[in-house]
Amino acid sequence: MGLERSLLKATWGYNGNLEPLYEVEDLEDLILVTFDLPRVKKEDVEVHTTRNTLEVTARMSNAVCWERWGVVQKKIAFQSFKKQIRLPEPIEPEQVEATLKNGVLRIALPKIRQKVSIKLV
Amino acid sequence: MEEIVRIVEEEETVYTNPIVLEGLPDVGLVGTIAASFIVEKLEYREIGHIESELFPPVMVIHDGRLENPFRIYSDADGRTIVILSEVAVPPKAVYPLTTALADWFRKLEVQQPIISIKGLPMKNRMDIEKPEVFGVGNSASAVAVLKEKQLDLLEEGFIAGTYAMMLRECAKRQISAVSVLAQCYPVYPDPGAAAAAIEVVKKFVTALDVDVAELLENAEEIKLRARDLMQQTTQSAQEMQKGMEQDMPIMYR
Repeated sequence: MGLERSLLKATWGYNGNLEPLYEVEDLEDLILVTFDLPRVKKEDVEVHTTRNTLEVTARMSNAVCWERWGVVQKKIAFQSFKKQIRLPEPIEPEQVEATLKNGVLRIALPKIRQKVSIKLV
Repeated sequence: MEEIVRIVEEEETVYTNPIVLEGLPDVGLVGTIAASFIVEKLEYREIGHIESELFPPVMVIHDGRLENPFRIYSDADGRTIVILSEVAVPPKAVYPLTTALADWFRKLEVQQPIISIKGLPMKNRMDIEKPEVFGVGNSASAVAVLKEKQLDLLEEGFIAGTYAMMLRECAKRQISAVSVLAQCYPVYPDPGAAAAAIEVVKKFVTALDVDVAELLENAEEIKLRARDLMQQTTQSAQEMQKGMEQDMPIMYR
């Protein structure tokens, strides 16, 4: 994919939410997801998971307020980050661990593993 | 033949043995954040821009004024030149852009090393409090300068993107060039890495009297403003084989 993107695809919404920058890394036994969450404190982060999805909502300590900007051309404020991700493989929701450090949220989601030993013939 | 990339100097600028700082977007937007901070704090004036049919057909508006996203700034004496962009460099533009810039540096008869301010992507950046800064030089004399400034060298590995080609194109023209690489988040804007890089660049440019404390204080605000450029740059970087920077060369010694 080049730099092209959908005409109205934006990383913000009129609902007061910004879409955070995030990265998904598919490792051997777990899926590692990080989110860049400036202006967010640990107590203001909510993480919800199912076997197939991850949803993060994070309230900023100070709302972001932009005036006379872009297509909006009036004052617009954002209070939170919000993002839902469909995971590439099923995970164990009860074993998910999350840490927030220096404004970056790291979530480790262990994959569901049903190990079966195969006998060589 | 018409040039694919044109360096347009908007006014008659007198250069005084200039040193060039290149801060085009790359991982962590280290160079772009550093270059923007320097230009803003030291009130450099815009002296030109870069245009090309290979760039996206985009202009930027600031204070109601139309501006080119690829801009060139200078201090009042023409001693320090800063190159930055507010949009990602399209992969197809890397070769012609670095070629055009290197030709322009030759025309300016730049005697001091060209300095590209960049990031070194670290998976564990989150756990690094103070980013380390490394250097790459394009010649024995450039490496000697890095050593003289007590900068650790990147000894082995691949480098990819605009700064890699900048080093090469400058070398082809016998122009000394170095890259200053601060450990950074690969896909998140990193003002902390930009601050670390500026501290090193100050060793090369004594006139760079900026206090990075302000940059660090405003880190969260900068991160919020830089989100969209970071996203564009990440998409572009994937096509520039940036992932190869994590690979080991076969002739590793």
